[in-house]
Formats: sequence, structure tokens, C-alpha cells
Amino acid sequence: MRLAESRATIVADLDQRGSAARLLGVGTAQETPVEAAERLQVHSLSARRELERFIQRIVPVRMISNRMLGSRTFAYVTAALPGLDAFLLLSRLSAMAGEAARDDRYVVVDGLSTGASLELLSVAAGVRRLAGAGTLSRLATELEGFISDPNRFGVAIVAAPQELALKEALEAASTLREQLNINRIIAILNGVAAPLFTPAEAEQAMAADLNHAALVKRRLELDAAATRIRRELEAAGLRVIDLPMLFSASVGKSELARLSRSMRDKVAA
Amino acid sequence: MKRSPFNRNHRLLLCLGPGGVGKTTTASALGLRAALEGKAVDVMTIDPAPRLLDALHLDAGSAQAQEVALEDLAVSGAGRMRALKLDPKHTFDSVINRYAPTRAMADAILDNRLYRSISGALAGVGDYMAMEKLLELYDNPQTALIVLDTPPAREALDFLGAPERMLDLLNSRATALLGGGLRLSDMAARAVLSAFDRVTGLHLLSEVHSFVRSFEGMYQGFAERAARARSILTGPECLVLVITTAEELRIEETAAFIGSLGRAGIAIDGLVVNRMAPAMPNRSGLAKIKPPALRDKMRRNWRDFAALKQRETAALRVLREMIPAGAAILAAPDLGREPHSLHDLAEIAASIDNTGWRR
Repeated sequence: MRLAESRATIVADLDQRGSAARLLGVGTAQETPVEAAERLQVHSLSARRELERFIQRIVPVRMISNRMLGSRTFAYVTAALPGLDAFLLLSRLSAMAGEAARDDRYVVVDGLSTGASLELLSVAAGVRRLAGAGTLSRLATELEGFISDPNRFGVAIVAAPQELALKEALEAASTLREQLNINRIIAILNGVAAPLFTPAEAEQAMAADLNHAALVKRRLELDAAATRIRRELEAAGLRVIDLPMLFSASVGKSELARLSRSMRDKVAA
Repeated sequence: MKRSPFNRNHRLLLCLGPGGVGKTTTASALGLRAALEGKAVDVMTIDPAPRLLDALHLDAGSAQAQEVALEDLAVSGAGRMRALKLDPKHTFDSVINRYAPTRAMADAILDNRLYRSISGALAGVGDYMAMEKLLELYDNPQTALIVLDTPPAREALDFLGAPERMLDLLNSRATALLGGGLRLSDMAARAVLSAFDRVTGLHLLSEVHSFVRSFEGMYQGFAERAARARSILTGPECLVLVITTAEELRIEETAAFIGSLGRAGIAIDGLVVNRMAPAMPNRSGLAKIKPPALRDKMRRNWRDFAALKQRETAALRVLREMIPAGAAILAAPDLGREPHSLHDLAEIAASIDNTGWRR
């Protein structure tokens, strides 16, 4: 939403549950881009669909390609090479980025969990080693170039202000840098509660009402955790963008708009 | 200690659920609870991220089972607890070395280019190997309970389908399909695959043929173990818990996930709602707070947390409606801080309680 304030932006939703589409109020995720707001579209992508598209491209006769996709033989081959569909998905993201650059647009990918995303980004190198020579080998080399080009690709690691999330974020950043040669990385610290009490006020508040002391302590701990985690992320050389905790009874498009507004001075559109 | 969710027949606890709900913490806490009740417990994660070992302060780089220092908790009558993270390549190599009929056949597989590529980093292989590791742990008579911490929801479904895919990939018909004796219906597919090979440069057909042929003599064992793993996962010794949090988006994911599990023939025994906020204190108590500036801040603080509690309560109502008949809802508390130590995990473990809600 923040980027779409100035340029057309497409959210590529890799999560088949379609969380981004639901939050943006466009219902279930769609295989074709759907308008979610002015200059903002949501597009659902899946590895299986990319495999089907690829087969249909190299076997343009629909009857034969469908036969192939449905055959047990083909199922054996793809089962024996489980990274092929992920590789094609990464290729698709690269193509979308190319089109976006040409049309002066942004692509924001709502990725999978950290481990699954690292596997997805590692797949280009895996396929290049396997393919030897040929179309896939060439594509794999191009993809490795794409994800390591800071002008075309970057990663935002989203972490909650918690120790385990921090460890995972730091390890992910290290893998991205050292194994995948990806250097445009930022961290987004999600759920940062605004400080409310000074230390003196907190002490006074906890002494004044024991029933409410736990809530005050909770607030202080949220604040302390965010401060500690932010410091660690910055120490690892990551630029950190805070997203505020949403103290609201529900989370929907209006709350997303609040998060978007909170990024106005942090993310240049 | 509250009433235990386990009974003596449970040998496997499967923890499933969406990402970001504290599944690893809950799985660790449940494992710890069983260990503190006197059981010998192995907790295994198949999540590529090292969260389980981190949570237990163990070496995240190790693929070996590591003993958790229960003596630090000074609980009498405790059993033992080990934790391990699945290393797919290491497990696959062990399976080949253990089950190949001859050394030469094992070497042929270990040297196969396709094997070397798929047994390492490529996605999906972990699911196959988790089954093998699960059986290895299951066959250890010293282990009373195995707790399996799975990857987030969508990948967990891949994991549960792994026995079938293993059978599909390695059954004896694969050799016939790829090597010869093709049925007419597969000939077109094979012809197209040959074209696919030429276009991509992968030479997959011959690679897969060679790969599948190198498994000759091992199909039967794979098939038996895959069928056995499936039988364990759907049998009475397996307790299936879905972990979630009382958040709107998580609940939609959880509902969809429970539906998928049902279609896959996996019935859930219970739902653990993690990070349940404590009850809110009465707001009227704030009226007497002075000075007014502090009172206003405390009121704001109360409003903020009350909004979160309201969100949680609404989500819980939905959860109660959607769980399958007979399944229980258990609640795990939000400590108000992140669990940093074994003591924190023990506190969560002791607090996990049956809410009494059941459909």
C-alpha cells in the first residue's frame, strides 16, 4: 500500500491461503491479478501452476500437454526432481520483475516461511548443478544473477520482536549473504508497541494498583524486547524498519492502511 | 501440574499448524511435560529453521539427538528428553547404507548425479526422510513418546503425504514405465518427456531411469516402511494436535488446514490455542489512580490490551465452532515474555490445560 501511493505495485502472493488477498479485501487469491486499491494489484502464484505453464509452453498442443501433466510417468519424474516446480516459480518472479522494471512498477512478493523461502532461493544453484547444459542451465544462471543483483532484487526479513525470530532472521540474513550472494536485505520489525511509561511512571503504576501491574509490566517487556531485537538486527548490518503493534479488536484493510502510513517516513515510494 | 493431555497408549504426538503460532515452543513444552511426567521422550523437528534446538539451547548445527538437561528443573520422577533436527541428506544416506542389498548398490546410488542433487538442498526430500527417521525413533524401545514438530501448514500436508509419494516414486511399476514394458497410455507421455529432455538439457528420463533402477531390491523395503509410517500416523498411538493462536487470519488458515487433514484421512484429537492472554483486570480500579496523567496512561494501556483480548475472544468463538466433533481445545498461556529457558518452557508445559471445550 505504501509503494502503491506513487507507483503501480503488484503483490505476488505465494501463500496459497491467500492471506494478502484477504487482508487487502479482495477475497480469495486469484490466478490473474486483481485490483485491491488504486495502483495496487494482488496476484496468486503457485509452483504447481508454473510447472503446468512451463509444460504447456514447450508442448503447445494442449491435449498432449494435459496428457503429459496427468501421466504417472511425468509424476515420477517431477517427484524425483522436487525442485523443478520451485525453480519455475522463481523464473516467473524474475520475469515479473523484468516487466515491472520496464513499466516502472514494483513487485512485492509475500513469500513462504523463512526455511521454505531460502529453499526457493537456493533452487537456482541446485538446478544449475543438475542441468549441466541446455535451456534450464542457462535459465538457472540468469536466475542466480537476478537474485544477486541489488538493483533488481532485495529481501525484507520480517521478524517479531522475539528472541527465536531474531535468531532465525540473523541466520537467514547470513545465508542470503554468504550462500546466495544476496546483499540487499532489510529487516522489518513487526509488532512494536509504542513506549508508554517512563521507568519512574511504571514503578509508580505497578505500586498503585496490583491488579493492573501485570499489564504495565507487559507493556514494558514489549518495549524492552523491541529495543533489544532492533539493536541486534542493526548490529548485524541490517537496516531496520519498525511496524507498530496494532492494538485493535480486528485486523483488516483499515489497519493495513495504518501500517502503510506508519512507513511514510521510512520507505520511499 | 494440570491434567495431562497424554495417555499411556500414545507413542507419537504430531504437532501441526500454521506458521508463526509458536508451534515449536508448544511442541517442546508438550514434550517436556511428558518427560517431566516420567516418559522417555524424543522431540524431532523437520522444519529447516533451527527453532526447536534454539528453544532448548542445544547445538543447532547438529543432526544428532541431544539430551536436554532435565536435572536443571529438579523435578523428581522425570524421564528423559532428547531433541533433534532432521538432516535429510544424512538420513537419506543412512537409509541407503542400511537397506541397499550390497555395498556396490549403495555406492551406485550414492554416486548417482540425480541422487546427489535431490538428497541435499532441493525442496521436498525432507518429507521423505522424515518418515524414515520417524520409524527409526519409533523402533527404539527406549523411547516412550515421539513429539514431531512439523513445518508450517502447507508443507506439513506435503509431509503427511510423503508415504504415498514414496510408494508412488519407488514402486516396481516405475521401472516398467521408465525402462520398458510401457502401456500404450504412457507412451505418449514418455515421447513428450524425451522432447522435454532435449529442450531442457536435463536428460531427466535417463537419469530417473538409472536412479530408479539403482533402487532395485530396495522397493519392497521402502514400500513396507512407507505403509507402516502411514499406519502409525493414522493409528490410535498417534495423538494429532493442531497448534494455532486466537488470531483472525490464523483461524482461517487453521480451518482450511483441518479440512485438508480430514480429506487426507487424518483426524485431529485436539487444538492447542497458544499465547492465550490472561484475563483482563477490572477497569474501574483505575479511577483512584493519581496523578491524572498516570491514570490516563494506565487507562490507555488497559484499552490497548482489552482490544487484543477482544480480538482473541472473537477468534476463540470461531475456533470452538470449527473443531471436529470429539476434539478438545487446550490452551497454552502467553507468559508475557518470550520463553528463554527450560524453566520458561516448563512453566508453559505445566500450564497447558484442557479448557473443557469440546464439540
